[in-house]
Amino acid sequence: MRKAAHIILLSALTLNLAVSAPQGAPQVVSPASGWDLLRKIVLVPGLSSQEGKVSDFVQAALPSSLKVQRDAKSNVWFTVGEGKPHILFVAHLDELGFLVDKITPQGTVLLRVRGGLLPQTCEARPFVIHTAKGPVEGVIQPKSDYYLSQTAAASSARAAQPPAQMTSQPLPAPAAAPAPPQKPPQAAAQPAPKPTPAQAKAPAQAPAKPQGQAPAAAAEPVELYLGCSSEQEVRALGVAEGDQVLFKKRLVDLAPDIMATRAVDDRAGCAALLAAALRLDWTKIKTRTVTFAWDVEEETGLNGAQLLAKTLKPDYVFAIDTFVSTDSPLENKRFGYAVLGKGAVLRSIDTSNVTPKTEIRKVAKIAEGRKIPIQIRNSRGGNDGSVFVADGAADIPLSWAGAYAHSFIEKIVKSDLEALTDLIAALVEEWK
Amino acid sequence: MKKRNVMWIWSAGLLLVLGAAAASPIDIKDLIREAVSIPSALGNEEALGAKILSYLPKGAAERDNLGSVYARFGSGGSKIALLAPLDEYGWFVSGMTADGYLRLDRSAQPQPNFDNYLLGHPVVISTQKGLLYGVVSQPAMHLITRERREELRNLSLDLVYVDIGARSGEDARQKGIEFLDPVTLWPELSALANDRWAGLSLGQKSSCALLLGLAEDLGKAKLSQEVALAWMAQSKYPTRSGGARSSLGAIRAKRTIQPKLAIIIDGVPADRGEKSPALGKGPVLILPKEGAAKLKDAVEAVAREAKMTLQYQTGAESALLNGLNGEGTEALMLAIPVKFAQTPSEVVDLKDVLALKTLLLQLLQSGRVK
Repeated sequence: MRKAAHIILLSALTLNLAVSAPQGAPQVVSPASGWDLLRKIVLVPGLSSQEGKVSDFVQAALPSSLKVQRDAKSNVWFTVGEGKPHILFVAHLDELGFLVDKITPQGTVLLRVRGGLLPQTCEARPFVIHTAKGPVEGVIQPKSDYYLSQTAAASSARAAQPPAQMTSQPLPAPAAAPAPPQKPPQAAAQPAPKPTPAQAKAPAQAPAKPQGQAPAAAAEPVELYLGCSSEQEVRALGVAEGDQVLFKKRLVDLAPDIMATRAVDDRAGCAALLAAALRLDWTKIKTRTVTFAWDVEEETGLNGAQLLAKTLKPDYVFAIDTFVSTDSPLENKRFGYAVLGKGAVLRSIDTSNVTPKTEIRKVAKIAEGRKIPIQIRNSRGGNDGSVFVADGAADIPLSWAGAYAHSFIEKIVKSDLEALTDLIAALVEEWK
Repeated sequence: MKKRNVMWIWSAGLLLVLGAAAASPIDIKDLIREAVSIPSALGNEEALGAKILSYLPKGAAERDNLGSVYARFGSGGSKIALLAPLDEYGWFVSGMTADGYLRLDRSAQPQPNFDNYLLGHPVVISTQKGLLYGVVSQPAMHLITRERREELRNLSLDLVYVDIGARSGEDARQKGIEFLDPVTLWPELSALANDRWAGLSLGQKSSCALLLGLAEDLGKAKLSQEVALAWMAQSKYPTRSGGARSSLGAIRAKRTIQPKLAIIIDGVPADRGEKSPALGKGPVLILPKEGAAKLKDAVEAVAREAKMTLQYQTGAESALLNGLNGEGTEALMLAIPVKFAQTPSEVVDLKDVLALKTLLLQLLQSGRVK
């Protein structure tokens, strides 16, 4: 037997498998490219309403010469210069995932969704609970009849037999759970009678149940299996109601300059903003006011931006967020066709905002002057900048072309992120 | 420091590592972790077979032209074979689009909904240039239509496009893609509580690792009979000859080894209702429809002596048992209970794996299976 050979050959043909959770604590980074920053910040856990560690990351990365402010919600921002116009750039820190809703007597964990993900893509997949004691790994339970054909599953349901699995037994109502430590999340699944910009941000179709369809898929709760068999065991691991539960992220490199992972929306925006902040010579900004902000709770209602809007009154707001691109095989190309790898995107019209054509032309001219590739397109989804419009700002969302938005494989091209960073820096230096 | 000195220090360090490693037993957890990390889709088991061969003593191990690996220990007495599947379920590249996406097909699937696990997740493609990563396209949640959502509820391979970051078929070929390249799900592995792990094909990979760990023990043991170990390629490919569904890999292994007794090691679905085996409650004894009474008695006697709990599963159709039992061979299965079997996150209890390894070693050393 040759264990030595095993040690040496471990990395030769194999994938690098870590049996522990990859998400780490925030770390200080030196000035780096947006791409390098993205590959770090995307792994920092930051469910919507629990973004503290991502805020820490941003704060630690910014130079001390910039007077960084942070509020109770963990919005982070700095302002440089004075006078008009006041230009605000804002990217959101939060990501989609789940909250621990209830720990069952059987030792599983019931989850409450925070944002729109395609439910079947979560089944039988590893997730991590970020507890006060550290990360705890688990698997979202597949449906109890997952191994049956559709026909067999339907006939099994008709027979109304007792559940085959412990995990499919009726569970106590989630309402009995103690209140989570933070503000209870909005039900992303509830359609609002009158869409506001905040509500418009939520994927329109994601939460909605198709009309006239049997509610079978929603009958079983989203339940996480940890390997435990009692509530006591789960609590001993440090799991508590309100803990954030995120997909076990990994960076999938499709090429040296193409990556896919969870939470590129909007950590790519955060990284571009951070890279621009680290690159710019802020001492030159004197006759205008420039604010860079990283805000919270965009995915669940633009709440962070609304808090910022109480104190910041910009003339222009550049929301830095995903452009939901149709550059993928399952999408209709009628709109949203911003091609990955063809530069930054000026998101002219989306679900929350229509950018005046005059402003679009101004951005295009600056980009042209600096030879920064941009695409001007419209798509769906909302943006944080929209909440500043009522108070007098023009909202001009800037993006990269992102494929597979709100999935576990959000895809981005490095040169697009670089173009976006260049565009942000150019606008800081030239926008009037 | 001079380059030669650096090399000398590096070499000395390596020798120290080698020496220390050679003296210590193989950790079965390391073997499982390694087995999970190496894709071994049905019909493309070369990489995992090569890795297993690298552990086995030279001269006692060989590989056949199907890809199965065999090792032999001891001599005399009735020949007994212990066999584990080498292959896992997957897909292969069946086409490319003009804009560089890969299309998939498969030759077998473990359950009717297995294709669903492709949607919106990464995959690994084993190419001539090495492992390549891709993701399976899914619509953006902001844009998905009701009709598309319905279509995706039961995913057809007609809607599966693997994105490898290529922009054309030529681009894909430049990356090393060829038709029939095997494609598997991302080999995730997670540590749960109570010595339970979750991972891709974990029942099968744990079986492979268990058998390899057993090989190390057999290499040191005094055996009074011939023991053949087999890691079966194409064990999941069903042949239809003779009526009952039989495993091609099992049939080939039987004809190669010609054992009088055979024990198959594999994962078995657990926690699927009251009659189902349970995770963490010990190995599962699965008998063929006829025969294997003597072997069963021996297993039960050794388990009793070791005060080890056995679980039983009856009435299950097993292509592996069909391929091995009968015509001069008495075969049964000793299985590892697997929760969420045939999903991307199969859960095994490492205590079950270690218990089965102990049971098998004691069985072979007991003299009850001569």
